[in-house]
Amino acid sequence: MPSRFVFAVGAILVLAACGGSTPSGNGLGSGALVVGVIAPFTGADAGLGPAYYAACLPAALSINNNGGVGGRQVSCSKFDTRGEPADALPAANQMIASNSNLMAVVGCTSDEASTVVSVIDKAHIPMFCMTGQSEFNKTTLKYFHRLVPADVYDAYAMVGNALFGSTHPKYTKAALVFGDDIGSQAFVQPATTAFTKLGGTISINQPIHLGASSYRTEVQAMLATHPDVILTEALGSAGTYLKEVKTQNNGQMIPFIGSSATIDPVWFKQVTDAIGINDVLKYYGGVDLGYTFSGPAYTEFLTNLNASASQFADAPKYKQRGSTLHLYDGIIMTALAMVMTNSSDPSVYNPKIIDIANGATGATVVNTYKDGVAALKAGKSIRFEGAGGQNNFNQWNNSQSGYILVGYDKDGGEVKVGELTPSQTSQIIAAGGS
Amino acid sequence: MDLFVAAFGFGLVSMSVIAIAAVGFTMQFGITNMINLAYGEVMITSAYVAYYLNRAGLTIWVGMAAGALFGALFSFLLNRFLYAPFLGKGTSYLGMVIVSLAVSLMIANLLLPIVGYYPVSYHEDAGRLIRWGGIVLTRDQIIIIGIAVVLMLAIHALLTYTRLGKAMRATAANPTLARNCGIPTRRVIDAVWLITGALCGMAGVVAALDSDSFAIANGATFLITVLAAAVLGGAGQPYGAMIGAVLIGLITELSAAAWSPQYKEVVAFGILVLVMVLRPQGLLAKRGALAAAG
Repeated sequence: MPSRFVFAVGAILVLAACGGSTPSGNGLGSGALVVGVIAPFTGADAGLGPAYYAACLPAALSINNNGGVGGRQVSCSKFDTRGEPADALPAANQMIASNSNLMAVVGCTSDEASTVVSVIDKAHIPMFCMTGQSEFNKTTLKYFHRLVPADVYDAYAMVGNALFGSTHPKYTKAALVFGDDIGSQAFVQPATTAFTKLGGTISINQPIHLGASSYRTEVQAMLATHPDVILTEALGSAGTYLKEVKTQNNGQMIPFIGSSATIDPVWFKQVTDAIGINDVLKYYGGVDLGYTFSGPAYTEFLTNLNASASQFADAPKYKQRGSTLHLYDGIIMTALAMVMTNSSDPSVYNPKIIDIANGATGATVVNTYKDGVAALKAGKSIRFEGAGGQNNFNQWNNSQSGYILVGYDKDGGEVKVGELTPSQTSQIIAAGGS
Repeated sequence: MDLFVAAFGFGLVSMSVIAIAAVGFTMQFGITNMINLAYGEVMITSAYVAYYLNRAGLTIWVGMAAGALFGALFSFLLNRFLYAPFLGKGTSYLGMVIVSLAVSLMIANLLLPIVGYYPVSYHEDAGRLIRWGGIVLTRDQIIIIGIAVVLMLAIHALLTYTRLGKAMRATAANPTLARNCGIPTRRVIDAVWLITGALCGMAGVVAALDSDSFAIANGATFLITVLAAAVLGGAGQPYGAMIGAVLIGLITELSAAAWSPQYKEVVAFGILVLVMVLRPQGLLAKRGALAAAG
């Protein structure tokens, strides 16, 4: 009997020792870790996936060059949703089923968020989604995180640019030209409400079918309403639409204001190819979250982004893409949460992501993974302020921040041209009803 | 009213683009009995050939000729080295559709790392606007309409007045009988792939030029419209494909003028479904140049 007992205890001890390599909540384990990038890499929104992949690669480099997550190296895997819910679900299932070592998921745009978010949440994998859909404004899903404001605020910022932008006269007659996808259509109602309540008129609301071969008749109908400005997000089809605007308007562009998603190298190239760089510089206005594109966090990001070119040649083009910066920060915060809890069990480290983002009173501000790990090892409480700036999560895992008004320079770099005052911002939000 | 007149003009451009592609597609099917689902990808590949030549400093019209040449050679080789061996082994009709679908996916995925996912545009000044009544067209759009008219007349002349055209029709009607009558059907089929491939390549460049901005994903979009026009007119019937192109081209533009533009394809494909219900064989089945007797 005693020998059986000793054997049983011995077996338990051996199993416990082996358990170090599994995500048990005790120790960081061993073996590679994977960040899943679930987004459209093909289809009409194929420009989105690369921006998120470009976030993951430098984050993995930053972590791996500084000892990994407790020695575990991080890699990035792409999962193509084609921008279609029907394709997104099997992609999400495959991602989860084939990767037992997923530490986080990034991407999940408005194209597929409604489909994949609950699946990822049920698998208990922390995710950072780039959806602006209002259904996530007060989500109770624990593993969902959103580092950018909901689309409604993006729409308000576009309205603010049209009405209060200092680089152009006040626009009071706007044409709304948004893609007929879920994400783009989320802008229409808040933009319409806010713009009209503040004295503007919507000359036409034109949902356009993304990927269509031409928009001649649509453009003719839009031009017939004589708008002062076009408010738009029609990713993938912007070049075709705007070129037809220029052609049918006798070579003359109409000012156009894009959402924050139009601060994107793919969009910039497409539109400059179509209408020419001079018209983009002269007639384009955009909105974006207030990035500084400087400081130690951004320098670390940029260094690793440029180094990622060996894996993804276009990576350096995303140096000023807001979503790239934010998702990079999300992955770093996840890795820090794992180090902080000394656990690879998502149910243990997931709640700490928000603690690290928001920081407790007296927390040490860190800007890089390396500094974060050092501070944690010194027993300090930390607040991570990354390449995308400070984060402020609310109780629904949504991080809020303000907008600036932007344009492009001739090389496709973002240029700040103004910002909305707190009073203007409140005015628009009140008019929009949020 | 002005908008409808303008939409009619735009419809002329759309139907011209569709007609060039749909006639090539339907001839391929009519004579070789092969539904080539890789057609859209050959179109977009040809569009990229023209794009790179255009970026190298050549005009888009030279690029269009090169695109047609590329489309002809690519389609010919595709048949010789891929489709024909499968057909020779007795692969079923459905099997060949799957093979062509696989080829389509392979082309798209092989092309992606080369051309990237970025939408691109030709360096081409579309020329000044020409207004006639309520119709507003650019110089390039008028050239596209002209190219389509010339090509349609050329196809008509080929099928009606030339020995090759008559051999094509005989091969389409009954390949065994045609071979027994001394028609070199294999060479006729080679010629069909070359001619329809050239139409496919040219259609790709014209469609890309007409779109102003195009990306690799457009290959699949092109194919859907081409299939719709071909089926609407009667599969395998070049004149049917021309009528199908006219209907789809005009309906999409006019419906965009009449209702919300997001429904324009719904309306066009709704009419396609209606025609299929009322006349499943298509509008011109057994009445076109390639129709079998009976």
